[in-house]
Amino acid sequence: MAETARPDGEREPARPPVMVGRHDLPEISERIGAIVLRGALPRGFWLAFFGLFVLVLVFLYSITYLVSVGVGAYGINIPVAWGTMISSFVWWIGIGHAGTLISAVLLLLRQPWRASINRFAEAMTLFAVAMAGLYPILHLGRPWYFYWLLPLPNTHMHWPQWRSPLVWDFAAIATYGVVSLLFWYMGLLPDLAVLRDRARSRGRQLLYGILALGWRGSAFHWARFESSYYMLAALAAPLVVSVHSIVSIDFAYAMVPGYHSTIFPPYFVAGALYSGFAMVVTIAIPLRRAFSVEDLITVRHMDNAAKIMIAAGMIVTYGYVSEAFFAWYSGESYERRMMWSRVVGPYAWMFWAMIVCNAVVLQALWWRRVRRSMPALFVIALAINVGMWLERYVIVVSGPSRGYLPAAWNDQSLTWLDFGIFFGSLGTFLALVFLFVRVLPAITIFEVGELAHERRQAQEGTR
Amino acid sequence: MSRYGLLARFSGPEALSEAARRLRERGYRRIDAFSPFPVPGLAAALGMRGTRLQWAALAGGLLGAAATYALILYSVVIDYPINVGGRALNAWPAYLVLAFEGGILGAALATFFGMLVGNRLPEYHHPVFNARTFSHAAGGGFFLLVEAADPRFRAEETQALLAALGAEHVEEVAP
Repeated sequence: MAETARPDGEREPARPPVMVGRHDLPEISERIGAIVLRGALPRGFWLAFFGLFVLVLVFLYSITYLVSVGVGAYGINIPVAWGTMISSFVWWIGIGHAGTLISAVLLLLRQPWRASINRFAEAMTLFAVAMAGLYPILHLGRPWYFYWLLPLPNTHMHWPQWRSPLVWDFAAIATYGVVSLLFWYMGLLPDLAVLRDRARSRGRQLLYGILALGWRGSAFHWARFESSYYMLAALAAPLVVSVHSIVSIDFAYAMVPGYHSTIFPPYFVAGALYSGFAMVVTIAIPLRRAFSVEDLITVRHMDNAAKIMIAAGMIVTYGYVSEAFFAWYSGESYERRMMWSRVVGPYAWMFWAMIVCNAVVLQALWWRRVRRSMPALFVIALAINVGMWLERYVIVVSGPSRGYLPAAWNDQSLTWLDFGIFFGSLGTFLALVFLFVRVLPAITIFEVGELAHERRQAQEGTR
Repeated sequence: MSRYGLLARFSGPEALSEAARRLRERGYRRIDAFSPFPVPGLAAALGMRGTRLQWAALAGGLLGAAATYALILYSVVIDYPINVGGRALNAWPAYLVLAFEGGILGAALATFFGMLVGNRLPEYHHPVFNARTFSHAAGGGFFLLVEAADPRFRAEETQALLAALGAEHVEEVAP
């Protein structure tokens, strides 16, 4: 790869390597296994985990409050009956999508750089889907009846309304959760075998031994493993597009100004990837530093993730422009008024903060130096996370608050419960990520080992 | 003395593939190879003729989609038909979305469990774990196993052959 000269005369490789230094399999399994198997953890881990555990308690308290007092306790009202429960749900589902993109789509496209980040991205998907799944259920008002969405034989003789996107949503997210879990667990099997043989204590040998299902790395097993792994990836790729498209149809099906738009499916899917990659970067930057795996999760990974963020972010920006343009071009006074109230109305500060976070800050990523500066990238990723949450909220709230009948206009304000549940779920999500890093290998041992082997072969071949 | 077979350790995937191919050429049939990551062409060198997992996935997908659609049709056409302004009971464009999700779910479950069934996993124990050198602790090594049940198996002859093929270490595996 060609090198480009920097203005200060220093030479910098045009593309940083996927892996820094020479590695071999024993060393990689030793290092990755040690993160899980070592006895004592640094004090920082426990301090951070304690903080997150407090947020888990906040989450549980808020849910209890919501269920016992009722959904009116958080910001919703009539006509704005959808609030943060729906916007956070959409946001969480979007977070999950980057994990599937990294693990499935980049696998199919044979991108070797995914190898060291796919495992925790998949874990991120699972936990984000778990968080997302809670929100619509909590939003139900009588959450204990959520199983009515399932086609179960019952004494009321009722069936789900199959024509409703809300039922499609339930099916899509349940399918997505199951497929993500299978994909993740299957990729874990060979690594669980490594942990099984490395573990010294009886309890861990039993735990990893049972989870590894007797994996022994036979060539026949690997052949079936690979072919089914690729098939699962090929199934997950269209699934992930369908999930967020269906989420967007929840809105687009409704005859509400600001919801009823055909651009929603691609716009939502791009937004999902955008926020998801921002979350991957937000987690990966502290993770690689805390566990000193900067030579495995390299600047190249972050650089590539930033490039995907540019692509997805520009589609999202196009979505904003097209929404505004078609509100005007349609000549529909309700659409126009809704759009106008978005720009200058009660949610204007959110709208403009969203534009700044999602469309303006993003432009800094065009510079290579910004993409490869970890502090800058981290700050930008945080801004995008915030911006995407605001986007979901603005979409959910501004439509119903400026409907067809001015008599029914109303605004929504956030209460402590909105924040309690959102930050509680954020803390629970991160606590799950912490537990995952502690219990399971956060980096795929066998894929990184394979990559290291291929790189050594290539280096020896050129010498 | 009874034995399950001979386990030979090789330095890397290339040596292992080469040895597997040679053994196969000499008529050995009950052989298996173990590696820490998938080695392209190794299963074929051992005489594996592809998998039937894709058919399992296809069948699972079609079954999942058909079952989902059938459930919907039963509920809206037979069990509880509601005529709303004369609209079609079989509103297929809406139901295809659900059939798609059901199909993906069926295909994914068939793929995953098909892989486990094809590989006979989970398995409580396998004789290869009796070998002292066989461990995944260091990520796993590159091993070739010749079963004693192989018609061409002759203890000394096979051991010498494995050494000649470049094995670093050959060990007997207890049953």
